[in-house]
Amino acid sequence: MNDILLQTGWWVPCYGLLGALLTLPWSMGLVKRTGPRPAAYFNMFMTLVAFIHGTLLFRATWHHEPVELVLHWLSIADLDLTLNVELSSATVGSMELVTGLSILAQLFALGYMEKDWALARFYALMGFFEAAISGLAISNSLFLTYAFLEMLTLSTYLLVGFWYAQPLVVTAARDAFLTKRVGDILLLMGVVTLSALAGSLDFPDLYDWTETAQLSPLVANLLGLALIAGPIGKCAQFPLHLWLDEAMEGPNPASILRNSVVVSAGAYVLIQLQPILNLAPVALMTLVGIGMITAVGESFVAIAQVDIKRAFSHSTSAYLGLVFIAVGMQWTNFALLLLFAHAIAKSLLFMSVGSIVLTTNSQDLTEYGGLWSRMPVTTSAFVVGSLSLVGLLPLGCFWAFERGLDIFWYDQPLLSAIILLVNGLSVISLTRIFRLVFLGPPQPKTRRSPEVPWTMAVPMVSLIIVTLLSPLLMHNLGLLPNWEYINKSAGITLIASGLMGLIIGGTLELQKSKSRSIKKPIRVVQDMLSYDFYIDRLYGFTIVFLVSSLSRFMVWFDRYIVDGAVNAVGFASVFGGESLKYSASGQSQFYVLTILIGVSVLGLLLTWTLW
Amino acid sequence: MTDHFPWLTTLIALPAIAALLVPLIPDQNGKTLRWYALGVGFLDFALTVWTFWTHYDISSSALQLTEQYAWVPQLGLNWSVGVDGLSMPLIVLTGFVNTMAIFAAWNVTQKPKLFYGLMLLLYSAQLGVFAAQDMLLFFIIWELELVPVYLLISIWGGPQRFYAATKFILYTAFASIFILLAGLAMAFYGDTFSFDMATLAQKHYSLTFELLTYAAFLIAFGVKLPIFPFHTWLPDAHGEASAPVSMILAGVLLKMGGYGLMRMNIEMLPNAHVYLAPVLAVLGVVNIVYGALNAFSQQNLKRCLACSSISHMGFVLIGIAALTEVGFNGAVLQMISHGLIASALFFLAGVTYERTHTLIIAKMGGVAKAMPIVFALFTVGTMASLALPGMSGFVSELTIFLSVATSPVYSVAFKVLITLLAAVGLILTPVYLLSMLRRVFYGQSSLPEQAIAPWMDANPREVFIAVSMIVPIIAVGLYPKFVTQTYDVKTVAVAAEVQESITRVAQAKSLEAIAQQPLEPHQLQAQGVLSAYSPTFSSAGFSSAGLSSALIAPAIPR
Repeated sequence: MNDILLQTGWWVPCYGLLGALLTLPWSMGLVKRTGPRPAAYFNMFMTLVAFIHGTLLFRATWHHEPVELVLHWLSIADLDLTLNVELSSATVGSMELVTGLSILAQLFALGYMEKDWALARFYALMGFFEAAISGLAISNSLFLTYAFLEMLTLSTYLLVGFWYAQPLVVTAARDAFLTKRVGDILLLMGVVTLSALAGSLDFPDLYDWTETAQLSPLVANLLGLALIAGPIGKCAQFPLHLWLDEAMEGPNPASILRNSVVVSAGAYVLIQLQPILNLAPVALMTLVGIGMITAVGESFVAIAQVDIKRAFSHSTSAYLGLVFIAVGMQWTNFALLLLFAHAIAKSLLFMSVGSIVLTTNSQDLTEYGGLWSRMPVTTSAFVVGSLSLVGLLPLGCFWAFERGLDIFWYDQPLLSAIILLVNGLSVISLTRIFRLVFLGPPQPKTRRSPEVPWTMAVPMVSLIIVTLLSPLLMHNLGLLPNWEYINKSAGITLIASGLMGLIIGGTLELQKSKSRSIKKPIRVVQDMLSYDFYIDRLYGFTIVFLVSSLSRFMVWFDRYIVDGAVNAVGFASVFGGESLKYSASGQSQFYVLTILIGVSVLGLLLTWTLW
Repeated sequence: MTDHFPWLTTLIALPAIAALLVPLIPDQNGKTLRWYALGVGFLDFALTVWTFWTHYDISSSALQLTEQYAWVPQLGLNWSVGVDGLSMPLIVLTGFVNTMAIFAAWNVTQKPKLFYGLMLLLYSAQLGVFAAQDMLLFFIIWELELVPVYLLISIWGGPQRFYAATKFILYTAFASIFILLAGLAMAFYGDTFSFDMATLAQKHYSLTFELLTYAAFLIAFGVKLPIFPFHTWLPDAHGEASAPVSMILAGVLLKMGGYGLMRMNIEMLPNAHVYLAPVLAVLGVVNIVYGALNAFSQQNLKRCLACSSISHMGFVLIGIAALTEVGFNGAVLQMISHGLIASALFFLAGVTYERTHTLIIAKMGGVAKAMPIVFALFTVGTMASLALPGMSGFVSELTIFLSVATSPVYSVAFKVLITLLAAVGLILTPVYLLSMLRRVFYGQSSLPEQAIAPWMDANPREVFIAVSMIVPIIAVGLYPKFVTQTYDVKTVAVAAEVQESITRVAQAKSLEAIAQQPLEPHQLQAQGVLSAYSPTFSSAGFSSAGLSSALIAPAIPR
C-alpha cells in the first residue's frame, strides 16, 4: 500500500492540472446550459483528491526514507535532462500546505467570484496555479524547479490579467510577467551554467558536486547571483518588487495564494539552492543586503498605502525580505519557520480583506469604517491574522521572530534591530488598517454591510482555527525551542517593539476624507512612501526609456540604413538605365561619335606603355 | 534504378498534378475548390505520415526511400530524391502547415482557381526542396518555389503587396544564384563531374575553395533564413501576404534556409564550417537581439510577428554554430517548433484581421471582449513563442543554450558573451510579445459597442486549425523525445563528422604552428582565417595561431 502511494506521489500536482483541463468545456463556452458552477466543483473535487492523496502520502513518508522518482525526459548524446521528484515528509508536508490552502482559497472564491461570468476560467487558472506550486514543492531537480517557476509566472500573469478589460490590469499583468521573467531568465542562465559545470541538474548531484567543486571566485559569485535572481523576482524583493503591488488588481482569492504560498515558493527554491549559494559569498551578501533594503523600505511603504490590498502586499515583500536575510546568513530553519508562519497568517488576512472588499465594493481604506459590529467573523479573522503576523502574542510569527532574534542577538545587532523594526512597523500598519476599517463611524460604503456568505465564512473560520493552532503545530513538528533555551531578553524586546507599534499605530492621526496630510513635510514623506519611493518612475526614465529608444533607433536603422542601402542600389540601377536611355537618340552621327571616342580611348590604353 | 514504389516522387508530384486539374473543376466562387484543395492537401499529408511510418527507419542515419532517374542526362541532371533525419521531420512539417494553410484560406473569393492552384504548386515545391538529393534539382525546385509565392503575395496581399512581392523575388532570386554558382563549382571540382549531393560531400576540397563555396551558400541561405543584413524582405513579405501565405512563409520557407545550411554548409563543407562557425554564432546573436528590438517598435501586427521570426531563427544559427550533437539537435527542433508556433501566430493574426480589418496595432485594442477565444488562443501562441516551459520553444531554446554552454570548442569568454546576449533576446521576447498582446486585446474595447456580436469570435474551423497547431507544440514541450528521436541518429552522425573535421583542422593547425614557430605571433594572427574576429577571441586562445591547438585540444579525445 505504502509503495503504491509513494510510486504515485507525482500524481498530486497532476490533479490540479487535470481539474484545470476539466473546466475547459465551460471556460471555452462550449457548455452554457449549466452555468459555470460545475467547473468550480470539478476543480474543488480534484483539489480535495490531491489533499487526501497528499495526507495519505504524508503518513507514508513519515519515518520513511525519501523516495526519488525519475523520468528521463530528454537525452541527446551526453546531455540527459531528468524530471526528478523527491517524496520526503518535508516536501510532501509543503505540498500539503499548498493543497490545503488551495482548497480553502477555492471555497472562498466560490463566494467571492459568484457573480463573475468567467468563474470557470478562474478555477482553471487556480488549478493550474496549484499544480505548479505543489509540483515545485516535491521537485528534486533544478531543471524541473525552473519549469515550475515559469509555470507560476504564467499563472500569475493570467490570474492578474483575469479582468482584462480593466485599465490598471493591463499593465499590472504585463509588469508581473516581465519582472518575474527577467529573474527567471537570469536563473535559467545559472541553470545552464550549472549544467555545464556540474553535468547534472538533480539537486542531490548538485549537492555532491558542491563538495568538490573548484570554481574561481568570479565564476562562483556570478553563478550565485544568477541563481538568486529568480527568487528575487518571485518573492518581490527590492529591484524586482513592483509587480506584487500592481498584481493586487487581480481577483482576491488568487491574492490569498499569491501572498502566502507563491512568494514562499520563491524562497523555497532559494533554500534548496543554499548549498550552491554557499560557494558564492557575494551572492549571500547580496541576499542579506536586498533583504534588509526590502524589509525596511517596504515596511514603511506599507504604512502609507490607501489601497487595503496593496498595504498587505508591501508587508509581504517586507517579510520575505527577512527570509532573504535568513537564507543569506545561512539560517535555513529560521527562514522555513518564518515562511510557514507568514504563509498561514497572511492567507487569513487576505481572506478577511477579500470579505471586506466584496461587501463594500471598495478597496480604498479611506472609505471604510465601523465594520467591527457588522462583520464579526471578518473582524475576528483580521485580528487573529494580524496577531499571528507580528510578535506580540505567542502566535506563529512571534516564534519565528524569536528564533531570528535568538540567532542574531549577540553577533548581528543590526539584523536584530531590523527584525524588531519590521515587527514594530508591521504592528503600526496593521493597527492603522484596523482603525480605518473596523473602528470609527460607518461611511456610505460600509453602512449596509452584512457578514459574508458561508462559502467565504467557512474557510475563514477554519483558517482562524489553524492559525490559532499553528504554535501547537510547530511544537509538534519540533520547530519550537524548549522553554529553558528561550532567549528571554530577546522575547521581551520583541514584545516591547510590538507594544510600541501598537501605541504609535493607535495614536497615529488618521485623515479619512483627505488621505494626504495638509502639512507639507508630512505630505512629502507620505507621497514618497505611497508611491514606493518613486521607483517605478525611475525605471520609466531609465531602463524602459532606454529599451524603447533603442528599439525605435533600430527600426529607423533597419528602414533607412540596412534597407536604404539596398534601395539605393536599386535606385542607382533604375537611374542609370533611365539616363542611359537618352543616349539612344537614333542619330547615326551620335553613334559614330561614340564609337570613335570609345576606340580612341581603347587605343590610348592599349598603347599606353609604348608612349 | 529504384526497386521500391516511388513514394517520395508520388508525395511530391501529387499536389502539383492536382494543381493541373484545378482549371477543369467547374466552380466559380471557390466553394467546391476549397474542399478539393483541402482534400488533396490532407491526402498528401496523410500519405506522408503513412509512408514514413511504414517505410522509414528512424534508427538509421542513411538516406532512405531514395529514387534516382536520369532526367536530362546531357546536363547530368537527375531526378534524385531521398530523405534522412534532417529532411524527414521538415517534410512532415511542410505537409502539416500547408494543409492547415489551405484550410485557413477558406474565404478566398478573388480568383479562387488561381489561388488554390498556386497553393498546391507551392506545396509540391516545398516538399521537393527538402527531398532533392541532386544539387541542380535542388536549385531548380528552389527557384520554382519562388514563383507561386511571388504571385500569392502580389495578387492576394495587402495594400503594399507589389512592393513586398518584388522585394521578395529580387532578394531570394538574386541570392539563389549563389546556390547554382557554388553547386557548379563543387560539381566541376576535381576529376569527376556530378551533381549528386552524396558524391559532392565525399569530395575533398581545398580549404580556400571550401571557404568560398561556404560563403556563397551562406548568402543564399542567409537571405532565406534570414540572417541580419539580408532580412529586410521578410517583414515586408510577411506583413503584406495574406494570412495563409504568411503561415507558409514563416512556417516552412524560413526553414529551407536552416535546412540548406545544415545540408550544404555543414554536411558538405565541414572544414569550412569549423572555421566559420563563430561567425554564425555572432550572426545568430545579432539576429536574436536585432529582431527582438525591431519587433518592439513595429506598428503592424504581422510585421511584429515577422521580426519575431527573425529573432527566433537566430537560435537556429547558434545551435548550428555550437558544433555538437546537442546543438544540431536543438537547431532542428527549433526549426520544427518555430514552424508550428509562427504559423499558429500568423494564422491568429489573420483571424483577428478578418474581424478588425486593420493590422495597425494602435487601431486595435480591447478586442478580447469581442473575441475571447481568439484572445485565449493568441495568448497560448504568445506563451509558446516566448519559450515557456511545457511548450516546444522552450525545449529547443534550452537545448541550444545548453549546447553553447557545453560546447568544447569555444572559450569561456565567448560562450558567456553569446549566452548572455541571447538571454537578453529572451528577455526582450516577452517585452514585445506582451506589449503587442496588451495593445491588441486588453483594455477598453476599441470596437463600437453594437459591433460586438457572438459571430465575431473564432468559428469552429478556426478553433480547429489553431488547436491542431497548439497540440503538437504542447506535446513536444511536454515530451520532446517524441520528435527528437525521429532525427536524433542523423544529427549525431552529422556532429560526428564535424567533430572529425575539428580534429583534422586542429592537427593541421598544430603542425602548421610547429612549422611556423619562429614567426612572430602577430604575423600568424594576420594569416589566420579567424583574424577578422580575433578581438572577440583574443582571450579564447586564438591569439597565438588562429585556431590554436590549445583551444581545440578538449575536442580531440572525442
